[in-house]
Amino acid sequence: MKEMIYQTICPGCGVGCGLFIRENDEGKLSIDHMKSSPVNLGKLCRFGMKLPHYYAKANNAENMVDGSAVDAETAIKAAVDILKDADTDSVALLSVGNTSNEEQMAFTKLAETLGTVVQTGVQKMCMPEPRTLAGIEKAKKIVLFVDPYVQYPLIVRRLLAAKQNGAHVISVGTKPLNLADETLDLKPEQYGELELDSESLIIADVHPNSDAGMVSYVKALAKGTGAGLQFMKPFMNSNGAALLANKDGSRIGLAELMEDIELGNIRTLVTLDSDPVELMPDAEAAIEALKKLDKLIVISSVKGPATGMADVVIATDPVYSKAGTFLNVEDSLQKNSGTGKAGVDALSLLNAGIGGKTFTHDEMNYLVMKTIEASKDGPSGKMQCSGTDIAVSSTDIPEDMYELRYLYNPFMWSDREDDNDFVLLNRNTVKKLGLKKGGCVNLKGEKGELKMRFRVESIPDGLVLTAKKLSIAKGVSTAISMEVC
Amino acid sequence: MVEVGDRIIGYSTDTGVRNKGASGGLVTAVLAAALEKGLVEEVVVLKHISEYEAVPIITSDVNEVLASAGSMHTVPVNLAKYAVGKNVAMPGKACDIRGVIEQAKRNEVDIDNTYLIGLNCGGTMYPVQTREMLINMYEIDPEDVTGENIEKGNLIIRTRSGEEKGISIDELEEAGYGRRESCRYCDVKIPVNADLACGNWGVIGELSGNATFCEVMNEKGVRLLENAIEAGFIEVQPASDKAIAIREKVNNVMLSMSEKWSEKIFTEIPDSERTRYYMEQFADCIDCGACKEVCPACTCGEDSKCTMYHNLEDNYRMSMFHMVRLMHLSDSCIGCGQCTDVCPADIPVTTIFRRFAEKSQKKYNYKAGMTLERPPFLEVMPR
Ligand SMILES: Cc1cc2nc3c(=O)[nH]c(=O)nc-3n(C[C@H](O)[C@H](O)[C@H](O)COP(=O)(O)OP(=O)(O)OC[C@H]3O[C@@H](n4cnc5c(N)ncnc54)[C@H](O)[C@@H]3O)c2cc1C
Ligand code: SF4
Ligand code: SF4
Ligand code: SF4
Ligand code: SF4
Repeated sequence: MKEMIYQTICPGCGVGCGLFIRENDEGKLSIDHMKSSPVNLGKLCRFGMKLPHYYAKANNAENMVDGSAVDAETAIKAAVDILKDADTDSVALLSVGNTSNEEQMAFTKLAETLGTVVQTGVQKMCMPEPRTLAGIEKAKKIVLFVDPYVQYPLIVRRLLAAKQNGAHVISVGTKPLNLADETLDLKPEQYGELELDSESLIIADVHPNSDAGMVSYVKALAKGTGAGLQFMKPFMNSNGAALLANKDGSRIGLAELMEDIELGNIRTLVTLDSDPVELMPDAEAAIEALKKLDKLIVISSVKGPATGMADVVIATDPVYSKAGTFLNVEDSLQKNSGTGKAGVDALSLLNAGIGGKTFTHDEMNYLVMKTIEASKDGPSGKMQCSGTDIAVSSTDIPEDMYELRYLYNPFMWSDREDDNDFVLLNRNTVKKLGLKKGGCVNLKGEKGELKMRFRVESIPDGLVLTAKKLSIAKGVSTAISMEVC
Repeated sequence: MVEVGDRIIGYSTDTGVRNKGASGGLVTAVLAAALEKGLVEEVVVLKHISEYEAVPIITSDVNEVLASAGSMHTVPVNLAKYAVGKNVAMPGKACDIRGVIEQAKRNEVDIDNTYLIGLNCGGTMYPVQTREMLINMYEIDPEDVTGENIEKGNLIIRTRSGEEKGISIDELEEAGYGRRESCRYCDVKIPVNADLACGNWGVIGELSGNATFCEVMNEKGVRLLENAIEAGFIEVQPASDKAIAIREKVNNVMLSMSEKWSEKIFTEIPDSERTRYYMEQFADCIDCGACKEVCPACTCGEDSKCTMYHNLEDNYRMSMFHMVRLMHLSDSCIGCGQCTDVCPADIPVTTIFRRFAEKSQKKYNYKAGMTLERPPFLEVMPR
């Protein structure tokens, strides 16, 4: 085999960093830095640097029916049979944006034939116009609702550049950030203290587990002060998924979708590179919910917990070798050099099998480009966002307990190994529990116990932060107690 | 007959290669001949993606070698790691060659079977920044550019219409454009550590722009050139005394420019502030490990001293990763700039590592990557 070099983007988050994946003559993958990519200048975060592990052959999905390996044709036929038999009202399609625009468009075509819509895991809501990441460097005051170091590392350099240009950076949250001039632990009703104006920029994020109340507060803050608003997104094609999902029809959040499965309202689920077990903070609960389905069809390039549970798995090409395009968080269109069309081809056959039309990758690409073009001057793109009165949900943490809270990051969404198997505690907590440096802490919740290593950080009392998905978590926030191991 | 120490001027006999080559296509022709005549099994060259981007490839296809002709000034990649474990011939800037030599010292490269064609190097630039510079400083559409050259301290840009526009490097760098920081203070401009040292400095008269000045540095260099001459791939003639003198003069001008940059960047930090300086520089590090991954002087692999003793959960004010790396590379850092290029937090890693390494390398009068000499650091200091 000859060495192959693929020009592609990182599937880790909505920044969509450009890179080359090199496959040597023995099939071993490595990274080359694409310094001409305007998004990231060839730089990558911890996740991007680990892509050769992510893309390891052992992680690739395989065509399966009822747990046995089959060829693509058999898997597609099995999926057709399931969808033909299913009651349309109880079928749901989920794609959060982990694949190309062309596969996304093809999935929407399938949804149309089925008379349903593609769920993106995020409620249908009005979003501000995407801004350029370079624009961060020009803001005078920046308010962070994310931890850039852990969650969206490629904006660290933008923030540092902004500071060089004189910006004042405030982190609204819990963990002091080296690049922030101040850290303010504010409740939404205290946001007035931020004193924002039109030269300010708010950076927050929207993802399947976002608190809808928080999102609307942040939007209202931007609207009320004239500040710019940059929403970061967790999936490489979050913007593509949102744009290409059926225009009409209701879109619900992932938690609601899971609840509908739990309640038996949804009996057949078709996922496109979106694994609910990986996406939901409580993996066990997600597994239990999926077990209630009559049928689960997983269309995916990678193996995950859901491929193991699926009635049918339809394997697509790994992201780096796919043909196709992607829309990153700034709506900049990126293109893969790969030629893999297995995903669109499978969706075409699936669509034809249930009475729709076949289509080609090129046709999907044409429709994608047309939709992007139309969105540029269509009124929907320029939607004015107003704040709504959705309350910020809060988990009640009893007096004598601690709050275990997530910092979502690319490793967690993709359920991949990282060196972050520790929790953050503050010095008071460490003293109070009598924890020893290098020792461990026992976390106890309703779902059981877990021994973890810890790191000391100046965070508020009563809080335990984690960047790793923990088995005892019930949601974004979980009440726990702790003791020395 | 070619001999070590010869200085010749030559070019490719194939007009296509000659025209496409940066200055006469000699380097491409020598590489192609090495492959065709079996001197090597494979060749490392750049595969062009656009005017501003290319990726290294390891190929045994002579057509890919021929297609690589031309200098890519906005491709600041280091080629050393692509030579690891192979029997190749490769072109390389001084820092590429220095990287290969450091790899050879650590037994990753079999230097006797690796042929190194050095390219004089005034520096490389970043592609995205360069496009911006072309618009803002040159008022040229980046898509119209067909080539660039550094001559007499000017960066000259050629466009499709045959036009040429030059602006002094000083002026560009003053405006925040131009060469990467590491290139500004890089102090090896003629790759005398390679088997052949090639460049356009010293090519004068009607051959100017159309031929390459090449110095034969060792026996492998002799083999490379003789092989290409015998295969009929190149034509050569001895360089005149005038050509030799001009090359020397330009080199000296470039080296004194580097010296000036060095003085400007590496200002003394008082002992009492040194620890704080290193801590602050790395305070925004996100632990991606890219700086280690790309380092051509590092051969440790995934489990290495700097990663073994380093945990994200540690609360040290400076990570063990960087502390160990600073020490470990103090005898081998070649200042190639790769670590700065890839740092997602825009930390000037190269300058920090050079600052640390410079002191010990200078003290022992040792320059990493120039010869196979082992670093003298482990020797016992006489009382
Ligand atoms: C970045 C850069 C800066 C240079 N600066 C000077 C200078 O200041 N003064 C001077 O006299 N000469 C300089 N040179 C050398 C000069 O441009 C020619 O490469 C040399 O004269 C040989 O010409 P040629 O026609 O024989 O080479 P060609 O036949 O065109 O062969 C060029 C070879 O260089 C390789 N190459 C191209 N770009 C790069 C790169 N970025 N990194 C590694 N390999 C690369 C190609 O793969 C190809 O194999 C520079 C070269 C480069 C790449
Ligand atoms: S995870 Fe996001 S920030 Fe990290 S390399 Fe991938 S795209 Fe870039
Ligand atoms: S570090 Fe030196 S040899 Fe390397 S690209 Fe820069 S100037 Fe050229
Ligand atoms: S430490 Fe940086 S500058 Fe030094 S050799 Fe390694 S990559 Fe090059
Ligand atoms: S490249 Fe930069 S951010 Fe990454 S480990 Fe090195 S210094 Fe840290």
